[in-house]
Amino acid sequence: MTQTLPTRDELLAQNGVLLIVDDILPPSGPVAKGGTPTVRPMELGLFIAIDQNSRVYAFNGHVDLGTGIRTSLTQIVAEELDLQMDQVTMILGDTERAPNQGATIASATLQISAIPLRNAAAEARRYLLQQAGQHWAVGVDSLVIESGVIKAQDGRELTFGQLLVDQRVELRISGNAPLKRLEDYKLVGQGAARVDIPGKATGELTYVHDMRLPDMLHGRVVRPPYAGYDTGDFVGTSLLEVDESSIAHIPGIVRVVVIRDFVGIVAMREEQAAKAARELKVTWKPWRHQLPDMSNIEQAIRDNPSIQRVVLDQGNVDDALAQASERMTRTYLWPYQIHGSIGPSCGLADYSEEGIRVWSGTQNPHMLRADLAWLLEYPEERIDIIRMEAAGCYGRNCADDVCADAVLLSRAVGRPVRVQLTREQEHAWEPKGTAQLMEVDGGLNADGGIAGYDFSTRYPSNNSPTLALLLTGRVEPVATMFEMGDRTSIPPYDIEHMRVTIHDMAPIVRASWMRGVSALPNTFAHESYIDELAFAAGVDPIEYRLRYLHDERAAELVRATAARADWTPRTQPMQIPEEDGVLRGRGFAYARYIHSKFPGCGAAWAAWVADVAIDKHTGDVSVTRVVIGHDAGMMVNPAGVQHQIHGNVIQSTSRVLKERVTFEESTVASKEWGGYPILTFPEVPKVDVLMMPRQAEPPMGAGESASVPSAAAIANAVYDATGIRFRELPITAERILAALNGAGVESNSHPPQSPKARRSKWLFGSLFAAFGALLGMAATALPWRAEIAPITPPAAGTWSSATLERGRLLAAVGDCAVCHTAPTGASNAGGLAMQTPFGTLYSSNITPDPETGIGNWSYPAFERAMRDGISRDGKHLYPAFPYTAFRNIEDADMQALYAYLMSQTPVNQLQPVNDMRFPFNVRPLMAGWNALYLRNGEVQTQPQQSAQWNRGQYLVNGLGHCAACHSPRDLLGAEKGGTSFLAGGTVDGWEAPALNSLSKAPTPWTEDQLFNYLSTGYSDAHGVAAGPMGPVVSELAKLPKSDVRAIAVYLAALNEPVSGSADARPATEARLAERPSVSPQSLSNGQRVFEGSCQGCHADGLGPKLFGVSPSLATNTNVHSTLPDNLIKVIQQGIDKPATADLGYMPGFKDSLSNTQISDLAAYLRSRFAPNEPQWTGLPEKVAHLKANLGTH
Amino acid sequence: MKADTSELPRAAEKTVTLNVNGQTTRVTAMPDTPLLLILRNDLHLNGPKYGCGLGECGACTVIIDGVAARSCVFPLAGAQGRQITTLEGIGTRNRPHPVQQAFIDEQAAQCGYCINGMIMTAKALLDRNPHPTETQIRNELSANLCRCGTHLEILSAVMRAARHQPSPDSVQ
Repeated sequence: MTQTLPTRDELLAQNGVLLIVDDILPPSGPVAKGGTPTVRPMELGLFIAIDQNSRVYAFNGHVDLGTGIRTSLTQIVAEELDLQMDQVTMILGDTERAPNQGATIASATLQISAIPLRNAAAEARRYLLQQAGQHWAVGVDSLVIESGVIKAQDGRELTFGQLLVDQRVELRISGNAPLKRLEDYKLVGQGAARVDIPGKATGELTYVHDMRLPDMLHGRVVRPPYAGYDTGDFVGTSLLEVDESSIAHIPGIVRVVVIRDFVGIVAMREEQAAKAARELKVTWKPWRHQLPDMSNIEQAIRDNPSIQRVVLDQGNVDDALAQASERMTRTYLWPYQIHGSIGPSCGLADYSEEGIRVWSGTQNPHMLRADLAWLLEYPEERIDIIRMEAAGCYGRNCADDVCADAVLLSRAVGRPVRVQLTREQEHAWEPKGTAQLMEVDGGLNADGGIAGYDFSTRYPSNNSPTLALLLTGRVEPVATMFEMGDRTSIPPYDIEHMRVTIHDMAPIVRASWMRGVSALPNTFAHESYIDELAFAAGVDPIEYRLRYLHDERAAELVRATAARADWTPRTQPMQIPEEDGVLRGRGFAYARYIHSKFPGCGAAWAAWVADVAIDKHTGDVSVTRVVIGHDAGMMVNPAGVQHQIHGNVIQSTSRVLKERVTFEESTVASKEWGGYPILTFPEVPKVDVLMMPRQAEPPMGAGESASVPSAAAIANAVYDATGIRFRELPITAERILAALNGAGVESNSHPPQSPKARRSKWLFGSLFAAFGALLGMAATALPWRAEIAPITPPAAGTWSSATLERGRLLAAVGDCAVCHTAPTGASNAGGLAMQTPFGTLYSSNITPDPETGIGNWSYPAFERAMRDGISRDGKHLYPAFPYTAFRNIEDADMQALYAYLMSQTPVNQLQPVNDMRFPFNVRPLMAGWNALYLRNGEVQTQPQQSAQWNRGQYLVNGLGHCAACHSPRDLLGAEKGGTSFLAGGTVDGWEAPALNSLSKAPTPWTEDQLFNYLSTGYSDAHGVAAGPMGPVVSELAKLPKSDVRAIAVYLAALNEPVSGSADARPATEARLAERPSVSPQSLSNGQRVFEGSCQGCHADGLGPKLFGVSPSLATNTNVHSTLPDNLIKVIQQGIDKPATADLGYMPGFKDSLSNTQISDLAAYLRSRFAPNEPQWTGLPEKVAHLKANLGTH
Repeated sequence: MKADTSELPRAAEKTVTLNVNGQTTRVTAMPDTPLLLILRNDLHLNGPKYGCGLGECGACTVIIDGVAARSCVFPLAGAQGRQITTLEGIGTRNRPHPVQQAFIDEQAAQCGYCINGMIMTAKALLDRNPHPTETQIRNELSANLCRCGTHLEILSAVMRAARHQPSPDSVQ
C-alpha cells in the first residue's frame, strides 16, 4: 500500500541509496486572463531511487487517470535500466514523494513529463555501469544489464544493490547520460500488459474508494440548491438554518459541521451519514435572482461578457469574402456535457495539528495540497496528498472537492473521515465540459476554392476552484476569465485569407477542462464546414481537404485512413440506396489536437471515417462503424495506445449522439444516468484502428486526440445519409426526425444541386456509385426501438384453458389459418402467396416465434395491429389484412384471440419478401371475417356459483374487506355500493383498481393470474404489487392456498364479459382523438430517462437477468390505468418492501429525477407502452402533488 | 479532540446473518442499509463499487442465489439466508476465475471502476448460458455502464471466457 512506501525526504536521508534528482520549478496552475503565474520556489524533485536491496523506485508527478500511464512509465524506466517491469515500483503523484510536475492534463504525460524520468533512469544506468566497471576494472562497454543484474563477460555478476551498500549517491539529471538506442529497445514499443488490471479484476485495494483506516468515520455533505453554480454573490452566502433535530432519530451521528454554505455530517457508519444527509432539514435563502436563462444555451453564451482575442489574421478576409461567389455563414453549438466518472468522487482525510494526510483520486495532487493549505490556513508542507486510483475522469471532476470536504470534517471530529459524494452530487456539481459556440463566415470562389475563412469561438470556461473554498468563503465566488478556447482554433488547412478570433469569457455554470478541451468543438465547426464547402464545390470532401492540407504527415494519415475504409469519392449525399426505411451514410473528418498555452503544441494526429444508419421513420441514429487512423509518433505501449483510441472513439460517439446536460430553472437537472444517458453496449460501433508506424518519431499524447474529429465525422455521415447538416449536438433521434419531417430528405436546401438533378442520378446511376461505399460498411445490427416494445413471449400456462378455447373458436371463426398457412406449411406460420393485381403478397407468420412471428408482441401491439393495421414495429400493414373489420372485435374476444395465438407452438419461418408494392386491395379474401361482427351482443352465461366461489366472495367481502380500498367512497367517506361496489378507489394516494372490471386491464386477468398475483405479488401479465397492495399480498401468504384460489375464482367470475357490453371501449379513433398532445421534447426527454434509469430492469428480455422479477411495462396495469398515480408513486418511491422476498427491489427516484423528468417519463411510458390509451393530463401537477404528499406506503 | 460516540442510540438497527463468499457473518445495521455498504464497510470487500445507488450502472453487482444483483438497491434485510458472492469470492490474483482471467488477458479495463460489475454480470450470464452470442452479451451488459469506452475489450473478454466454457457436448 502506498503509505508503506518511503517518502522523498526519507529516501534523501537514507544510506545505501542512489538518488537521481533535479531542481524543478513547479508549474503554475491555470492562469487567469491578464493574470500572472504564481511563481513557486524551486524544489528538489526525486525521480529515481535505488536502494541497497536493489529496490527501484521511480517517481512521476502525473497520475494515472485510467489511461495506463503507470504501465507506460514503468516500461520507460525498466527499458533504460534493463529491468523486468515488476522490478520497478512506480509512484505517481503523491506530494511527499513525487516531483511537482503540475496537473495531469493535455495528454502530456508521455510527451513531456516522462522526459526527465527517462533521463534520470539513463543517469542511474550510467552511474551503476561505471561503478561496476571500476569494481571489476573492466570497460563499461563490456558490461551488460539483465533483469537488474550487471554482468561481466567473464560471468561475474553484481546486483544494483551490491554496488550501493553503505553508499549515498545523489546525482542531478545532467541530460547527457546516453539513452538507449531505438534498435536496442526490448520493452518500449512493445505491447505491455497493464500492471494494474489483475488487481482490479480481483478486488484488490486499488481505488481511493477502497481505502480504510482504523477509527475511520463516514461523512456526507449536503450541497446548496444552486446546483452547478460556483460564481455569483449567493455562493457561500445562502444558508439560513440547519435543524439538527431533524436527524435526531438516526443512530450514529457524530457531528453536523456547518461553515457558511458548507454543510457536512459525520457518522459512525456510512448508511447513517447517508440517511442523515437525505433527511437533514436545511433552509436556504432565495438565491435565484440573477441566473442566466439556460433554456437557450446559445443565447446564454452570447450574453456572457467576453474579450475578443484575434489569434490569426492573414490575407484580407473581409475583402476576400466580399468577393466570394457563394457566401456561407454557419453557427455550431456544442452542449454542456459531463465527465461522468462511473464512481462518484471519494476522499479520505486524517487531520491532526501535526500533519494532515489525504488519500485522494485527484488529477493534480500538488494543486490540491495548495488549495487545502489555503482552506485550512495550514502549512502546506505538512499536508500529504497520497494519490490513489479513482474512477476514470477525462478532465476535472469532483475528486478535489471531496478531499476538501473530508479534511473539513476530519478537522471537526479529530478522526479520519471518509467522504463519498452521491451520484447526484457528482453529476450536478462536477465542473462541466462547457458548452461552446462557434461561428464561421466563409465561402467559395467561382472556381470552387475557399474564398476566405473567418472563424470565431466562445468557450465559457475554465476555472472551477475547489468547491469548499467557495462554500466557506475562503475564495470569492467571482467569475474568472481564462484563455482556453483556442485549442485547435486554427484549422489545419492552408487558406490564404483567414482570421481566427477567440472570445475569451468566464464560465457560466461551473465548468472546466474535459477531454478534447475546446479543440473538439472547434474541430466540429472546422471539419463540418470544410465538408460543406467540398460538397458545394462538387469535390469529394477528402480530395478537397487534401488540396489545403500541407502537413505531409497529416496528409499521409488522411490518405491511409481513407484507403483503410475503402472510401469511395463522392460529391453528393444520399447515394447509398435506402433499405427498409434505413438511410446510410459515411463521413470523414481529420484533426490534430493542439493543446496548452497558445500557440500550443500538437499531440497525435487523427482521422475518422464514420458510418451511420438512420431509421427514417423514428429518426434513430446509430454509428455502426468507425475506421480511425492515428499517428502518435513513437508508441511506448502500442496496446495502450489502441486501448486509448477505442476509448476515445466510443466516448466521443456517446457525446455526439446522446450527451447533453439539461437545466431546469437554470440549474443542472441531469443528476443520474437517466437525466444523462451515455452509450451502452448494444449501441457501441465496430472500430477499426489504423496506427501509423512512427517509432522513430517522438511520442505524442494519445489520451484525447482520437476524440477530436468525432463530431464532424458523424455529422458529415449524417449529412451523407440524409442531406441535412446538423450543427448542434447531440444528434438525437428527436432532432433528426424533426429535420426529416421539416426539411424532408429530398428537399434539403444546403446542397447546391436541385432535387430534380439528384433524383435523376438516383434513378440511373446511384446504385453503382454507392456499391463501393456499401462494401466498406459493416452490416451491424441496428438498435432500433420499436414503436411498441417487444416482450418476452408469455410463458406456457399464462392463460386459462377456457380463455384458450374461446380464442381457438374465435380464430376458427376468423379463419386466421386460412390465409396465414402456406399449402404445405405449419399452421399459422404464414407464407401463403396471395395474388393481387399489383403483384404477390405473402401472409405473415402469426405463431408466437419471437424472431419471425408475433412472439414478442405485447397485447397492446397485437390489439393495435388488429384494430389499426399498424405492425408492432410501427409499420403499416397492407390492407389485405382486414383490420377495418377487426377494430370492432370486443375486447374480451380480442384478448382471448391473443391468448390463443400466443399459446401456439412457435414456428420459426420467415415470410417470403412481398413481390409487390403499395397499394392494393383484396376484397374477396376479407369475407371470412364478417362473421366476427356477430360476436357483438353475445349473450353471456352467468358463472356457476360453486362452493369455491362462495368462499372467495366471503373472503373478498368479509375478512378481506377488499372494498375498503377498491370501492369509491361517497362524500361522507362511506363505501359506495351497488354498481360502484369494487369499482375502484384511492388509498394513500394510490389507485386501487376496480375489481369488477379487471378485464379492462391491458391483458385480461385470468383466474390463474389472479392466483399467482395474490400469492407472490407479481403477475408477468400485469406487474408487481406495490404501495399498500404489497403488504396485503404479504398477509395473504399466510392463508391456505385454497383460500387464495377461492379469491381468484370469485374475482375472475366478477369479470366475465357482461351481456350487452354497455361500457365497451370506444373505437380507437375516438379514444385517440381525446389524447392530449405531449410535446416531442417531453417524449424525447422521457425516453432518455427511461433508457438510462429504467431499461436495465424493464427491458422486455433484451436486458440483463437480474435478481427478482423484471416486469414488462408493456403489460403493466399502472401504465394502462386511467390514472397515472400508481405509476408516478412507484417511480418516486420505488418498492423497498416487496410483497414476497424473491420479487427483488426497485429504487425510488424522487431525489434523483426532477418532477419534470418524472412527468416526461410517465408521458413517454404511456405513449410507448399504452399507445391505445389517451395520454394522461396534468402530469406535472400530479407529480409535484405526489412528491409533496408521499404518504406512508 | 476525539468525539464521544459511546452513548449514541442504535435502536433502529438489527442483527442479520449473512452468507458471503461461503462464510457466515453477523452484522448489525439499519435493515434498509444497502447490502453494498455492508459488504464494503463491514466485510471490507473492495469488489462491489458504489456507482449510482439507483441500480442504473451495475458497478455494485454481486451474485445472489446464482443471479446477478445490484447490491446498491438490495437492502440488508433481504439478504438474510441468501448465498452472496462477490468478485473476491470467485477468484484471486493467483487463482483467478476464468472470467477474471479473460478480462486480464483482454486487458479489459481502463480505469477499471466498472470491471467488478462487468465480470460479475458476465459470470452470471455464462453460468446460465455458457455460449452466448455477441448480441446476447451486449444485451446482458446493456445496463452496465463504462465511461472510459472499454466496451470492445470487455466484449472480447466475455467471448474469450465463453470459448473456455465446457462445450455443449460435454455438458450433461
